[in-house]
Amino acid sequence: MNGTGKKIVLYALLLLVLLWTVVPLLWMVLSSFKNADDLVSRTPKLFFAPTFDNYIGLFTGGNALGGYIVNSILAAGISTIIAVALGCIAGYGLARSHFRGKDHVSFWIISTRMAPIAAVILPLYAVFRTLDLLNTTSGLVVAYLTFNLPFAIWIMNAFFADLPPALEEAAMVDGATRFGAFWRIALPLTAPGIVTTAILCLVFSWNDYAFAQSFSGPGSQTLPIAASQLITQTGINWGQLMAIGTIVVLPMIAVGLAVRRYLVKGLTLGAVTGE
Amino acid sequence: MLLPALLLLAALSLFPFFYIIWMSFNEVSLIGGVNFEWVGLENWTNLVTDPDVRSSWIVSGIYFVSTVGLEMILGIGIALLVHETVWGKNLALSMLLMPMFVAPVIVGLLGRFLVDSTYGLYAWFLDKTGLITWEILGSKGSALLAVILMDVWEWTPLIVLIVLAGLSSMPPPVLEAAKVDGANYVQRLRHIVGPLISGVVVVALLVRSMDAIRYYDIIAITTNGGPADATKVIPIRLYETAFRFQELGYAAAIGLSMLAFSILVANLFVRILKQQGLAR
Repeated sequence: MNGTGKKIVLYALLLLVLLWTVVPLLWMVLSSFKNADDLVSRTPKLFFAPTFDNYIGLFTGGNALGGYIVNSILAAGISTIIAVALGCIAGYGLARSHFRGKDHVSFWIISTRMAPIAAVILPLYAVFRTLDLLNTTSGLVVAYLTFNLPFAIWIMNAFFADLPPALEEAAMVDGATRFGAFWRIALPLTAPGIVTTAILCLVFSWNDYAFAQSFSGPGSQTLPIAASQLITQTGINWGQLMAIGTIVVLPMIAVGLAVRRYLVKGLTLGAVTGE
Repeated sequence: MLLPALLLLAALSLFPFFYIIWMSFNEVSLIGGVNFEWVGLENWTNLVTDPDVRSSWIVSGIYFVSTVGLEMILGIGIALLVHETVWGKNLALSMLLMPMFVAPVIVGLLGRFLVDSTYGLYAWFLDKTGLITWEILGSKGSALLAVILMDVWEWTPLIVLIVLAGLSSMPPPVLEAAKVDGANYVQRLRHIVGPLISGVVVVALLVRSMDAIRYYDIIAITTNGGPADATKVIPIRLYETAFRFQELGYAAAIGLSMLAFSILVANLFVRILKQQGLAR
């Protein structure tokens, strides 16, 4: 095959792949602007008169999506802040210290992150029931910390380990304390790492369904629960469902792609460094 | 500096860990708080003999091998494709990565919408081409295939991202030299690219394997194990055992067997990291 022919095949294949990844999302966004008739039309409609009814319907009448949005932001936001703050300190400690049993500590951290959610829900459910944490936002924050905290420690450790210790050592020779070296030298230099960690923690907890479904009640339900509640015995309101989907998905795609350069490192838990 | 975070992590992980072990030796009832009644090894002997649990492990095995396998094959293929692209590479990569950020429960709901037999876009397409004319999530084989493909849609981009990082870090002179020596694309792939990215591919495989056993949201919201247990993977079985049949002690034993599996994979992951000199 000659050069041009090869290129045409290459780009045709790529186009096919992109259609595969993007069409469902485009279809979701399009459908969120369709009225009930256009939604259930037997032949899919690409052109239609757009309407905001589905979005309006989510906030009016018996529905109050606002509460779910607030719960989502609180649960995901607070757990992210706690995880990243503690993760930075502990990750730095882990990267700069050498002690016996460090391997075991590392292994413990990573296996906590990897524990199957269904297996974590069981003991937490029993404990939350005893401590009265079911149906509270604090309960969800604690639940999200079970995966966000080990993730943040591990990944910040990887980002700090990439920094040459010489800079901090120089600062300490000049009289800075260990904490001063961490606060004024190491922390600013890992800013992209911190942002990436925060965004990934946010995405993991914002997208959670399993924990929220088991632990939350009317006072603490998050957006994914609101979405699942649109499936009822009498039918599914697909228009509103696609609208919630759009509300849940678009912000995460935006923040996720904003740190694309650092995603590889974050998502491989520091094993692979990108671009 | 490690102490505060590690103390909290201990409270979050070790306490539940010992708690679930304790649960697995008891009959746990939720009537009036949480009550334990010691039953010794009963839950564990049940776990070994229960045909339902065994069939769920088989479904889990099929689901695990098909999702991770397809994601690896497609992911490596697409990464090679994107790596060859010059024009529009950045935009293409961004569009490619989008599914990764979608909440799994939305992936499931969107999947349900797309394959609905009366108004689903994909169902309409499959019906028009005569490939699948029945209710996709209503039949055993196609339901399992559908939930597998939903997971593949969401996570193949992750493999692409990781493998692409490996491909971009290859030293260009090595490839140039092979080209000059007359090696064709397949030869270069086998003898040069393959060995150079094998480490990254293993990392991708392990990262994906660890998460593949963690999540069950897509199945929970689409088929919830049905039809006729065709998609009842172990976590769905666990959830049902605990919260529908209220057998929390037995569910704890199932949970611990899952945990053993993920600890095994995590162990491999840490070993690979050490081998590559990446663990610090």
